[in-house]
Amino acid sequence: MWNTDSTIMNADNPIISIQKVHKFFGTFKALDDVSLTVNAGQKVVVLGPSGSGKSTLLRTINRLETISSGSIIVDGQDVNDPGSDINRIRAEVGMVFQSFNLFRHKSVLDNLTLAPIKLKKEPRDQAEHHAMKLLEKVGMVDKAESYPVQLSGGQQQRVAIARALAMNPKIMLFDEPTSALDPEMIGEVLDVMVTLAREGMTMVVVTHEMGFAREVADSVVFMDEGKILEIAPPNRFFDHPVHERSRRFLEQIL
Amino acid sequence: MRDKPVVIEVGDGAAIPDPRDEGLFTAWRISFFGTLAIIAYLVVFRPDPYLDIIKFLPDGIVVTFQVTFASIALALVLGLIAGLGRISKNTFFNLAASTYIEVVRGIPLLVQLFYIYFALGHLVRVPDMVAAIVAMGFCYGAYMGEVFRAGILSIDTGQTEASLSLGFNRSQTMRYVVLPQAWRTILPPVGNEFIALLKDTSLVSILAVSDILRRGREFASESFLYFETYTMIALIYLVITLILSKILSNVEHRLNHYERR
Repeated sequence: MWNTDSTIMNADNPIISIQKVHKFFGTFKALDDVSLTVNAGQKVVVLGPSGSGKSTLLRTINRLETISSGSIIVDGQDVNDPGSDINRIRAEVGMVFQSFNLFRHKSVLDNLTLAPIKLKKEPRDQAEHHAMKLLEKVGMVDKAESYPVQLSGGQQQRVAIARALAMNPKIMLFDEPTSALDPEMIGEVLDVMVTLAREGMTMVVVTHEMGFAREVADSVVFMDEGKILEIAPPNRFFDHPVHERSRRFLEQIL
Repeated sequence: MRDKPVVIEVGDGAAIPDPRDEGLFTAWRISFFGTLAIIAYLVVFRPDPYLDIIKFLPDGIVVTFQVTFASIALALVLGLIAGLGRISKNTFFNLAASTYIEVVRGIPLLVQLFYIYFALGHLVRVPDMVAAIVAMGFCYGAYMGEVFRAGILSIDTGQTEASLSLGFNRSQTMRYVVLPQAWRTILPPVGNEFIALLKDTSLVSILAVSDILRRGREFASESFLYFETYTMIALIYLVITLILSKILSNVEHRLNHYERR
């Protein structure tokens, strides 16, 4: 089902096209001439030491971070063009955060239905029907009426994934989705992500889960100091890293 | 991730009773039932003059509540605007809100009351009650602005980012995600401000507004029973503020429902 051609540099049908992006925080260079294209249906895992700019890169895709120069095209629309409807682009790009960020004043079900009801004007019963299907998918049906504070971290993150899916996004961005979890809860979240990948979702995942990268990624992107140093299929990256910095990174974590 | 909700401490107004305080003798109960007992004792055993005084005051109580509710409504609207202005990235809006807050907080309430009542009275003639409400609302709006600002800033930025990433714009995010949560943080200080405002409405008795205090002064100046009259006025203010603080603490407790496991 998923794309076996992992050479994303030769993309014919890019759904995300990042070209020569630079990003400064004050004088600190967070992104340094970054270019990356992602095809529809591809799963890209971004690796790198902390502070390497991988989260920043992910957040520029739906303009949670603005860029200093370069261009980012998502599904044919320039994300940073003042003429683009950024809210419409964001609705097509689901995002999952390290700290879950479920709406604390809403029940699980209401977390999922808020955006479809308010933004897509879906009737409540239709939105709830869809939401229950998504909760079934992430194994959280019996917690539909609970509030986020009543859930474990792993449960919250599964709900957060379902919430992002409720808008039927074309792309899903994951910003270290398991980094804030207790070890025994990481598996349940990764399982949901693997299922999503098998269904053909386009995914860009910033993570430290090497097993997930190996199993799911079409392509691994390695970043350090704001630069993309290496883009390779997971087997090649893990077994024969080209860049000296990649080798040191892998030695440290494996 | 933050486990404890942020509490904004505002040192003015009555202490709000803790709803979890299960003891039989709480400060609230002692004050409330003690006050009621004293009023009952005075009215029953010394009806002359205390019963006469208490009969004279209800009109004033109504006026005090009218001024309080109208002023707090105005203050909440101004406070929300000022609070949003203070966190706005729009330079003009931000400066306007900050200047309003700086200026109003630097002038005593009584002076503002005189100013709006007498100074502006030269330009536009408005009813006494309206002038009093505008002055109180204008002043408390500035304090309320700081409360709203702190309440909004107490909400984790992750909530805003999650909302934006779903496709909500800034104002929808404020309306559906941030403000409903900020209310929980804002309510206790707003409640304190409400009670403080109710007490401060006694200042409007200096203008020609017949609130509790002014009604009392009228009674005292005719009967020369200053001690008795002001005793009763103090007791009535105390009963009102104690009832209000109890109501507010219950509302606050209910508003916290989604933070309870």
